[in-house]
Amino acid sequence: MTMVRLVIDGHAINGESGTSLLQAWVAAGLPLVGNVGCMGQGVCGACRVLVRRPNERLAQTGLACETLVEEGMQVAFINISRQRRPHSYDLHALGDSWDAIARIDEIFPEATRCRHCGGCDAACPKGIEVEKMVNLAAVGQTLAAAELFDDCVQCNLCVAACPEHIDPAHLGQLVRRMTASMTLRPSDLIMRLHELEAGEQTIDLDSPGTLPQVSDDADVETADLETADVETADLETADLETAVVETAEIENADVENAQIENEEVQ
Amino acid sequence: MSTGIAYETALQEWRQTAPADPRPLDLPVSELLSNFHPDRKPGARSKLVIGPNAGEECPNTLSRLLQSDSLLEDVDIAGAPTSEADVLVIGGGGAGCIAALTAARAGARVLLATKLGLGDSNTVMAEGGIQAAVGADDSVQQHFEDTIRAGHFAAKKELVAALVTGGPSAIRWLIQEGMDFDLADGTQRMGGTLRYKTAGGASVPRLLSFRDFTGLELMRAVREATLLQPNLTLLTHHPALELLTDDRGHCAGAVLYDFAHGQEVVVRSAVTVLATGGSGRLHLSDFPTSNHYGATADGLVLAYRLGARLRDVGSFQYHPTGVAWPPPLEGQLVSEAARSSGAFLVNGLGQRFVNELQPRDVVASAILREIDEGRGITRDGKVGVFLDTPSLERDNPGILARELVTLGNLARRGGFDPAEEPFLIRPTLHYQNGGVEIRTTGHTSVPGLLAAGEVTGGLHGHNRMMGNALLELVVFGRSAGANAAADARRERPRNVGLTHLADWRRAMESEGLPLDRKAPQLFPYYGNFDPVRDRRRGA
Repeated sequence: MTMVRLVIDGHAINGESGTSLLQAWVAAGLPLVGNVGCMGQGVCGACRVLVRRPNERLAQTGLACETLVEEGMQVAFINISRQRRPHSYDLHALGDSWDAIARIDEIFPEATRCRHCGGCDAACPKGIEVEKMVNLAAVGQTLAAAELFDDCVQCNLCVAACPEHIDPAHLGQLVRRMTASMTLRPSDLIMRLHELEAGEQTIDLDSPGTLPQVSDDADVETADLETADVETADLETADLETAVVETAEIENADVENAQIENEEVQ
Repeated sequence: MSTGIAYETALQEWRQTAPADPRPLDLPVSELLSNFHPDRKPGARSKLVIGPNAGEECPNTLSRLLQSDSLLEDVDIAGAPTSEADVLVIGGGGAGCIAALTAARAGARVLLATKLGLGDSNTVMAEGGIQAAVGADDSVQQHFEDTIRAGHFAAKKELVAALVTGGPSAIRWLIQEGMDFDLADGTQRMGGTLRYKTAGGASVPRLLSFRDFTGLELMRAVREATLLQPNLTLLTHHPALELLTDDRGHCAGAVLYDFAHGQEVVVRSAVTVLATGGSGRLHLSDFPTSNHYGATADGLVLAYRLGARLRDVGSFQYHPTGVAWPPPLEGQLVSEAARSSGAFLVNGLGQRFVNELQPRDVVASAILREIDEGRGITRDGKVGVFLDTPSLERDNPGILARELVTLGNLARRGGFDPAEEPFLIRPTLHYQNGGVEIRTTGHTSVPGLLAAGEVTGGLHGHNRMMGNALLELVVFGRSAGANAAADARRERPRNVGLTHLADWRRAMESEGLPLDRKAPQLFPYYGNFDPVRDRRRGA
């Protein structure tokens, strides 16, 4: 195992090469109580860091769970509050889509003042074309703008980077949420909702399909029957567990047990 | 289980046989599960001796936490700053945000407290999708039966019925909040149809998705809505240390810990909603986990100490394909999509050993058996079996780039090409099947305490179906939020304090349990933060 030396938030530590900054931080015995969430999947955006490598003039942003340790790295966690901010709106009171551009401009007036500095693009750890999204949103090309933000993890690094206080991460969410809530109307979902409202879709709690022996295809059936033997033990425990709660349920479970026993007899 | 076949040798075996011939399990499923499923391994569980579930078995690590003393004494909260809320929601993942939003929109003054940041949760990590029976060939009854069957007939039927009938309106609600969904090929946003994928154990395709990061898309919309919601105060980095009680034993709020200031704060509330999620980061039986960093069973501990009944608390889901090597990615999920697209599992002898499309508990147990019996593959001290992605790519050219994007990203971060080299995988602790028992309204057995999401028990029986976790947090998050707001209009708690702790400590002492064992632990053992020792220090 190769060790590298690096500095995180002022602590000079040794990290095992191949491990992430977060893993090296905890392996060095340092307390990890914030700036962490999914711990490696790179989807929660909580572990933002500023990283400077030896002989590089500029520091780069990244996620500590996805960035591997390197010799001589200088690392600082970046705390950005995601709490309430000035760009507020009620998605359900945006009016109709004819006014979308006007609403976007009202809520995010700074969006038309992008100075094309590219700071947001450089800050994004996911390589999103943030500036392009801002420019598209500002001229009402909401669907195109929304698609550019598919991979956003709401780390808010673009928010911190923007000198015009555009809040790109939240603008991106506005156009995405507008697009979905105003334009997505799947017919299958709507039909099923109507059926449910009309009482045409109901549940039979004790249908044959809820009992162990019924199955839809042979493969699954074998698996179920095999597990069923084991499940007898479990159901007995289940009986005890449910005993306090509902008698009806216990009766069901008893029926299930009885059926399993029948199968064993066969 | 440290013994196995060296990686280089195993790679040669794999090259010789790839693609390996099918080889069914040579052991009855019942024997496989009872010998190799981690829930059932001898010595892994012990009986609870105090609390509402005394007499029932539970994994050792969890049982130690459930039967622990509080971190607090009355004196700790005597001078603590106090806030008031109609509804206190504990937990800032999907269920917590949705409960808080719903309660605030119903007119309640809501306080949402979360241990990490808003949305830093298992919800945001969900890849596959959310189940809802919307297809013309599908029905809520079929979804009901599939769920009952997948849970080995141990789920509470009334809860499952509420889950599946609430499915379609949950999807409408999500769209109204601004969540996007994949559409069937060639259909339009207005009047088209949703794309359905098949979840393991489903009789028809019903899994709705957004790419292979459905949870991220859900959490983005819901997080933004929560941030913007009037009447909703957020306290991030405020874990709950203990629930409060009034003189009738009703839940009356919670004591939180303010990391920024290194002190306890008291929140008095008419109703409390527990949405603290799961417990993968307890690493039961030393398993790696796919869970987020904060999943340490805090909610189970607090609810149990207050007298809330738990259900199926010994049942956990181990996802068959977690990364075993390289170490930085250990425990992370390789999506089930790999196996459902046809990727094989291969042991160190170049052999397949199970039908890869069996239910998750069966496949996971079969992998653990290979490892236990010395046919696993060892690399840098890690052990697992191969997921044969190169053969999958060879048989379906382009499939990795086209359909398994997240898998490709994962491999790239691991420094290898999945078209050339198989993944080394091992089961990973994925989901807490049981939890705090709830009614369909979200009420627990303790008045004033509701719960929603992974912290609850009863919906999944002994095995959760893919896609039901995201649905659960929407359906039950909404109903818990609505009922909490309604309950908060009735009476408010009086004489609030930590009165339940006296009885709890007496029970611990009478069973000879050590009072120096404290919980909740808040963070994994390697987080270098001991809530007893380090609390005064702040962050």
